[in-house]
Amino acid sequence: MLQKREKVMHLRTFQGRTVRIVREHYLRPSVPCNSPLCPQPTRCRNDGKLLSSDVTHYVIPDWKVVQDYLEILEFPELKGIIFMQTACQAVQHQRGRRQYNKLRNLLKDARYDCILFANEFQQYCYLPRERGESMEKWQTRSIYNAAVWYYRHCQDRMPVVMVTEDEEAIQQYGSETEGVFVISFKNYLDNFWPDLKAAHELCDSILQARRERELESQENNGKEYPEHLPLEVLEAGIKSGRYIQGILNVNKHRAQIEAFVRLQGASSKDSDLISDILVHGMKARNRSIHGDMVVVELLPKNEWKGRTAALCENENDDKTPGESPSEPMPTGRVVGILQKNWRDYVVTFPSKEEVQSQGKNAQKILVTPWDYRIPKIRISTQQAEALQDFRVVVRIDSWESTSVYPNGHFVRVLGRIRDLEGEIATILVENSISVAPFSEAQMCEMPVNTPENPWKVNPKEEQERIDLRKTHLVFSIDPKGCEDVDDALSVRTLINGSLELGVHIADVTHFVPANSYTDIEARTRATTYYLADRRYDMLPSILSADLCSLLGGVDRYAVSVLWELDKNSFEIKKVWYGRTIIQSAYKLYYEAAQDLLDGNFCVIDEIPEFKEMDEKSRQAKQDELVWAIGKLTDIARHVRAKRDSCGALELEGVEVRVQLDDKKNIHDLIPKQPLEVHETVAECMILANHWVAKKIWENFPHQALLRQHPPPHQEFFSELRECAKAKGFSMDTRSNKTLADSLDHANDPKDPLVNRILRSMATQAMSNALYFSTGSYAEDEFRHYGLALDKYTHFTSPIRRYADVVVHRLLMAAISKDNKTEIKENLFSSKDLEELCRHINNRNRAAQHAQKQSTELFQCMYFKDKDLEIEERCIADGVIYSIRTNGVLVFIPRFGIKGAAYLKNKDGLVISCYQDGCSEWKPGSLQRFQNKITSTTAGGESITFSLFDHVTVRISVQASRCHADTIRLEIISNKPYKISETELSQQNSLLMKNELVKEVTRSVEEAQLAQEEAKVKIIQEEYQEYCQTKGTSLYTLLEEIRDLALLDLSSSYAM
Amino acid sequence: MAGLELLSDQGYRVDGRRAGELRKIQARMGVFAQADGSAYIEQGNTKALAVVYGPHEMRGSRSRALPDRALVNCQYSMATFSTGERKRRPHGDRKACEMGLQLRQTFEAAILTQLYPRSQIDIYVQVLQADGGNYAACVNAATLAVLDAGIPMRDFVCACSAGFVDGTALADLSHVEEAAGGPQVALALLPASGQLALLEMDARLHEDHLQQVLEAASQAARDVHALLDRVVRQHVREAALLLGD
Repeated sequence: MLQKREKVMHLRTFQGRTVRIVREHYLRPSVPCNSPLCPQPTRCRNDGKLLSSDVTHYVIPDWKVVQDYLEILEFPELKGIIFMQTACQAVQHQRGRRQYNKLRNLLKDARYDCILFANEFQQYCYLPRERGESMEKWQTRSIYNAAVWYYRHCQDRMPVVMVTEDEEAIQQYGSETEGVFVISFKNYLDNFWPDLKAAHELCDSILQARRERELESQENNGKEYPEHLPLEVLEAGIKSGRYIQGILNVNKHRAQIEAFVRLQGASSKDSDLISDILVHGMKARNRSIHGDMVVVELLPKNEWKGRTAALCENENDDKTPGESPSEPMPTGRVVGILQKNWRDYVVTFPSKEEVQSQGKNAQKILVTPWDYRIPKIRISTQQAEALQDFRVVVRIDSWESTSVYPNGHFVRVLGRIRDLEGEIATILVENSISVAPFSEAQMCEMPVNTPENPWKVNPKEEQERIDLRKTHLVFSIDPKGCEDVDDALSVRTLINGSLELGVHIADVTHFVPANSYTDIEARTRATTYYLADRRYDMLPSILSADLCSLLGGVDRYAVSVLWELDKNSFEIKKVWYGRTIIQSAYKLYYEAAQDLLDGNFCVIDEIPEFKEMDEKSRQAKQDELVWAIGKLTDIARHVRAKRDSCGALELEGVEVRVQLDDKKNIHDLIPKQPLEVHETVAECMILANHWVAKKIWENFPHQALLRQHPPPHQEFFSELRECAKAKGFSMDTRSNKTLADSLDHANDPKDPLVNRILRSMATQAMSNALYFSTGSYAEDEFRHYGLALDKYTHFTSPIRRYADVVVHRLLMAAISKDNKTEIKENLFSSKDLEELCRHINNRNRAAQHAQKQSTELFQCMYFKDKDLEIEERCIADGVIYSIRTNGVLVFIPRFGIKGAAYLKNKDGLVISCYQDGCSEWKPGSLQRFQNKITSTTAGGESITFSLFDHVTVRISVQASRCHADTIRLEIISNKPYKISETELSQQNSLLMKNELVKEVTRSVEEAQLAQEEAKVKIIQEEYQEYCQTKGTSLYTLLEEIRDLALLDLSSSYAM
Repeated sequence: MAGLELLSDQGYRVDGRRAGELRKIQARMGVFAQADGSAYIEQGNTKALAVVYGPHEMRGSRSRALPDRALVNCQYSMATFSTGERKRRPHGDRKACEMGLQLRQTFEAAILTQLYPRSQIDIYVQVLQADGGNYAACVNAATLAVLDAGIPMRDFVCACSAGFVDGTALADLSHVEEAAGGPQVALALLPASGQLALLEMDARLHEDHLQQVLEAASQAARDVHALLDRVVRQHVREAALLLGD
């Protein structure tokens, strides 16, 4: 069976001695070859991923190719790739964990056609390293030998191409075996993939970057940065407490100077360091980039610096404002990087004038990343001029200690600067969101539902599921125009007099089996991305908008939770979980439901389900529905009261915020009086989530996916407390209940905005709720602070969130466990689940950022190019919510914008106001106090702005070529702006936002139309000149269809 | 360099074995003529020599004699050249004493000591090359030596180690896997009855996983038993041939 060999190695110990180490090495006659051509599949035990059978050849990359060109091998167009174990180990040992993990994920991912062949454990492939043979030579020889074996193993039926960078190997092996070709990688791309332009470009740019790097390491003169310390020294230093480990966070507004290292929980043993560590200047940052895991050494106390509290614009000059910084805080310098966290960056090439100023060496070009926090990147390319007006994706290759800037290479073009599509693509790349359309393989898995071939309930499923179609009155309540209805409700009286409450959730897992292509894609996306004007679905629309959506009047599969409640006390007596078939009777929207609840029946005519009924049955149905909604509200009130009284919470702000969590838009301030129906539905969902969390935790105590909301740090509340004090309120932040109470009391009858701002500040002080695996936390850490529940999860929106899909699978497994038929194979182990949770949390954060950035993009496009003096909408009422040394932060309720307004401009002039409120710039000085800031002119006039003051601001856009445009505010009067109108618009603030998006979209479309007209003109001209076909060309037709798609999305955009 | 990957995604361990596979075992009985029983075993690159004297009268202080059964005296030692770096190991250092005690416990459970009251059985074990699983190799070697000496036992004592990596139990750890610092269980089994003669673990392992690790270790011990059984039968056959002449 197994054959034993011995490997002898000579290793150097830390003390410098050499040790002879003998390791065993076992060989076996057969390892999985994962080829569909395998003559003996059972002997090879080919389980799992196989290579696809429709390739013309197999390609085996040499170790050097895997190390250097992995990015190109990642192209899905390249098929039939066999990674040899030798090559993978070369990556693991020489390229570090990051690239190795990338390779591992590639191998695991069913979408890529590549496999690993464990050649070193195969009896006939393994070659012992000969005496005096270099490691590199041996690796190449092993890989070639394995390639030959593989070719023979497939009975010479599939040619094998080995690509290598080693010229000697090409010479030596090139014609040794027929059917096994050895060529260089460049050659391979040229011959086999001449049309894959992107791969060629990438290859060229990698080659060029490598050449530059070699050249540079040769000249290797004066060093710009100190070298990083070796890993052992870092680890020893961290253990002894000399160094501190943490994540580097660059200050967005002072990217050149300030960066902070956030301590990681474990290393806070020495309790004297509670705050973050400041890293001052690029030198001290020592080549680490935002997001890297770094090791810092603290500087002696006399070199500590403070952070600046002044507002400042993102300019690259290091000129610090004359303001004295705050008191010194721990300061350090980076001595090493434990883990680099580089991703794809969007950059802009310098414009023509700037190129000239960069000198004659035009091959190397400094490009500016879109993200302020990333340093400029040096790119070697000849296309600089052509790429000037585009947003471009680049990757960083290296950052040598001899170079001021990191080296990178060009990857692909995104779109034109300032073009809506280009900017949106930029936002997506910057948040690492990839939303390619669903592939054919994924769509093939989808069920069909067309008018000719309608989807029907499967009779087999009908037997296995509980049928609620006849027995239950099920209805859904959602925002108006909602397409993806994933929850429905029901309530009825049982024969024994008790009530039965039901929450029915779309059964997504029925349509998406675990590890199918759709499932893998959904897992990668993790959530549906909502941008300001569009959304990117997690699941194909056939599921999200049709078969999984619990629409009215059609049969749908659901997963239901049914509670039996006492009819008077509403105590829960029994819970049932299971798969069901339902038919939603009514698809209501919130406002209609609220009207029905209030006894306002004229709304009935608007509900389509009622239209076709005759008067009599209509009355009966109407009574039934109104009773159900009323009962539901009673139950929800009771459940909520119980939650409150359990010594828990009355955190309305947080409550709504949690509800907003899915799309968490900070600008979306809480509607002042949400309809009670909102709360009813939310309460039912919370109840369902809570009970499901309990169920899956009980059944799988170590591998359930729950959601926690850790209690906030008290220090973060200090700003809130100070602000509240300014208005004369006291904030008790010791527990969630006291906080909620004090927030309720902090209500200024004259200015309702005060309460809203305070609430949003409290929200910001809290940490985010996160998904986690129960296996990796202690039970008392499971709590959800905001909802005051001991266990909570997400179960109710499987169409939009992948976490819910996982929870659904867990719940199904838990139910089958009850029925003694265990199906466990689809469950994640605690470790995998933890990794998945991290991924989902990460994606959620990315989704929030993308949404925020896209909203800001639209705001800027809305205000851009408006004549400041004439346009009325550029002037609005604002509230000061924070004070800085040279300005104030202002919140504009009408547009939901937050921004900075300077009290001192660049020329050193300060603001002053006349009697009627109009302001003017004059020389003078500023003085900052705790809750107010005073501006005194040279003439002795002074004016004070304090917290929560209303001012009139003018909104303008500060354009920026390399970065996102920003909103600029300018105080033009210290009096509130037309109070009556602002109050009116407050109620419409949400509406305003939608209009804003619509208007921007419309203007973009108009621009496109104009362009097209111009195009049509050109076509006509060309027709005259070249006698081309008249009429619509295919291109214009396609363009029209594209426009239609855009329109569709914007109108269906809801939620 | 990234940390060592003890179990690859394809299910291979560092040395090419799969999770439940043992290292190559080779053994011989009766290697010395002077001793009452002796045996030599190789488990992968771990090599151990065991020698048994007895049962004989008490040597040294007679007061240690037990009135109802024999005293089992075990001594463990490692050769200076047994590890990568040469190191003098004086007799009676802490590790050797502990290992001796564990061996003693193991064999007191297996040898029918009550047949020899007031007498003594000596078991000396030396590790010639250490490459993980020292205890297991010593127990297996000593079992063969005791059998060679003809001392009655309840059953073979077969030992094997097992570890736990990424949710999978690994049988028969090598030195590389031991050095990685994961939990390690050493288990000595009486295969016929399935009783445990000794179970030892000195790292933290979650309760839920213990069963899985124990099963892997005892399965490995049963595999070892099959191998040792073959060695004993081979030895007896050879001896019988010699006697027959």
